[in-house]
Amino acid sequence: MTQKSSGFFNWINARLPIVNTYERHLSKHPVPKKVNFWYMFGALASIVLIIQIVSGIWLMFGYENTEEGAFASIEYIMRDIEYGWIIRYMHTTGASMFFAVVYLHMFRGLLYGSYHKPRELVWVFGMTIYLVMMAEGFLGYVLPYGQMSYWGAQVIISLFGAIPYIGESLEIWVRGDYYISGATISRFFALHVVALPLILIALVFMHLVALHEVGAGNPEGVDIEKHLDEDGVPLDSVPFFPYKVLNALVAIGIFGIVFSIIMFFFPEGGGYMLELANFEEANPLSTPEHIAPVWYYSPYYAMLRAVPDKLGGLVVMGAAIAILFVVPWLDRSKAASIRYKGILSKIAMTIFIISWLMLAWLGTVPVTALRTTLSIIGTVIYFAFFLLMPIYTSIEKTKPVPERL
Amino acid sequence: MKKLLLVALLFFGSQEVFSAGGAPCGDYGECDSFKPELNNMESLQLGALTYINHCYGCHSLKFSRWGRVAKDLDIPESIFNENLVFGQNVKLGDRMTGSMRPAVSETWFGIAPPDLTLVTRLHGSDWVYTYLRTFYEDSSKPYGVNNMVYPGAAMPNVLASMQGQQILSCKDVPVIASNGGVRRDEMGNDITEEKCGYLKTIEGSGALSVQEFDEVIFNLVNFMTYVGEPSRSDRERMGWYVILFFVVFTALAYLLFREYQKDYH
Repeated sequence: MTQKSSGFFNWINARLPIVNTYERHLSKHPVPKKVNFWYMFGALASIVLIIQIVSGIWLMFGYENTEEGAFASIEYIMRDIEYGWIIRYMHTTGASMFFAVVYLHMFRGLLYGSYHKPRELVWVFGMTIYLVMMAEGFLGYVLPYGQMSYWGAQVIISLFGAIPYIGESLEIWVRGDYYISGATISRFFALHVVALPLILIALVFMHLVALHEVGAGNPEGVDIEKHLDEDGVPLDSVPFFPYKVLNALVAIGIFGIVFSIIMFFFPEGGGYMLELANFEEANPLSTPEHIAPVWYYSPYYAMLRAVPDKLGGLVVMGAAIAILFVVPWLDRSKAASIRYKGILSKIAMTIFIISWLMLAWLGTVPVTALRTTLSIIGTVIYFAFFLLMPIYTSIEKTKPVPERL
Repeated sequence: MKKLLLVALLFFGSQEVFSAGGAPCGDYGECDSFKPELNNMESLQLGALTYINHCYGCHSLKFSRWGRVAKDLDIPESIFNENLVFGQNVKLGDRMTGSMRPAVSETWFGIAPPDLTLVTRLHGSDWVYTYLRTFYEDSSKPYGVNNMVYPGAAMPNVLASMQGQQILSCKDVPVIASNGGVRRDEMGNDITEEKCGYLKTIEGSGALSVQEFDEVIFNLVNFMTYVGEPSRSDRERMGWYVILFFVVFTALAYLLFREYQKDYH
């Protein structure tokens, strides 16, 4: 396709910029020649997005979005549709894997300062994607209408009720009823399969367009645009095809192994991916002993529970997500990558990782007095990491960033 | 960094953080382990027979279909129809919806017996296996029995004729010292104390020995595990091929990647 002499492609390209777009954003798009495995999770996230869309469409063939039929239709997919179980497990494993690769992708951003000028908007679009994914995951979790779907939805929707003045009406408006019912399921279904995926795809598109405008970062935090060859191509770059495609293929292969081990041998993920209580149909008259979110919400759930006041918990949880959006303006360091940042950043990062993992665990287990204290400590550390960032990144001594990659 | 991790480990390892909620199998403590044998057709068939004869009268398997069970368990249709299908006018494509109307059962038991299609997925096969073997005589309960795993269970011990009488008994057990070892007297003999709450089957009171009964329950729970997810053995079989595919794929992709990497290194 790089040869423009072909009459057909010339004809097309004069009317629709397929060839130009393909070359600009795929085949010839310059990417830093030296990156490490942390740079593979973006590609993997787009693979999982495709898995989710395709398996989701197939699930819709058998799913019934009614109060009476939802739970049974999942079992219908699992038993009566040929290979329906593959489609279903692909979707449930995909949901967890989506968050797994996105968390690793976000962490890469923090580690190597991928949000540094001029990539602020790439980060902001990415965070918006994460926010929409959280909503998408929640809506999808309600659809099988098991016990945990019902009671999880009960807990989350009741959070709206904590908002002063409009809370109660807002809660009813979101549910579409005075309690969770068929009306809730059918609207959640519409949002889960049409509205949010459309927004998600649009955001992913913006994320990529913004990324390709400024170019991908690298683990050294080197600005490769400083040294260009005579054609204006960065000297430290290689074209996306075939070099980065091959790089991604290796990552996809390894990811495929991990994905299939989970999907075929541990589809419940030990109760963290498919919660066992969800194998029982929703029963509004019986509250489960212990309501826990799936693992990917658990750090924020732990923060919600750390605050005794419902509205306070909601504000803290919202702020925990909101603060991620402004990270590009909190980091004042001259160096983007952790490799060239000072000791304070490294200490802060280490404590942050430990406390985030601790919160993730705390969100999945029942509350005790000690655990509440730990959740409060974890929440304080979480916010301290971000709020103190302008201070510790500007007073510490950074190492000089090399000129070339 | 290593120190920090160590401190974190010690911290989370402490008992207080972990101990919340009861034991998985109630008064029984840890559940007895159960390893399903989903390719053991004989066990699955015997389990299906026990289920249909002793459980199906009250507990439906409404997400499962008769024909699927016959096919998966290698039971010829004629034999299946004559010996297993419960109820008249039942077709092989029908769901196993049970034979008791919920309204009737609710008057009898106070609560409608739950559908058990997914019970092994909900509680785990270990739990079901332990539950079915831990009924004991308790005259204070309406059916004269109670259960260690699920105290106050509203279910009679339907398999009592096979199992015989099981009672709670006491026995002498070694006293454990605060350091975790067994306490001994000056002569070096273990110090024992009487503790109660142990299950004991009265020999000869049932049609089967303890071992035979455990086997009946094993087959039953094996069948229930199958019904919980009939595609499970397919899933585990196919999984190996998919993983193998990705291993080969990764190896080829890596070789190609390494070759092309020479261009810019």
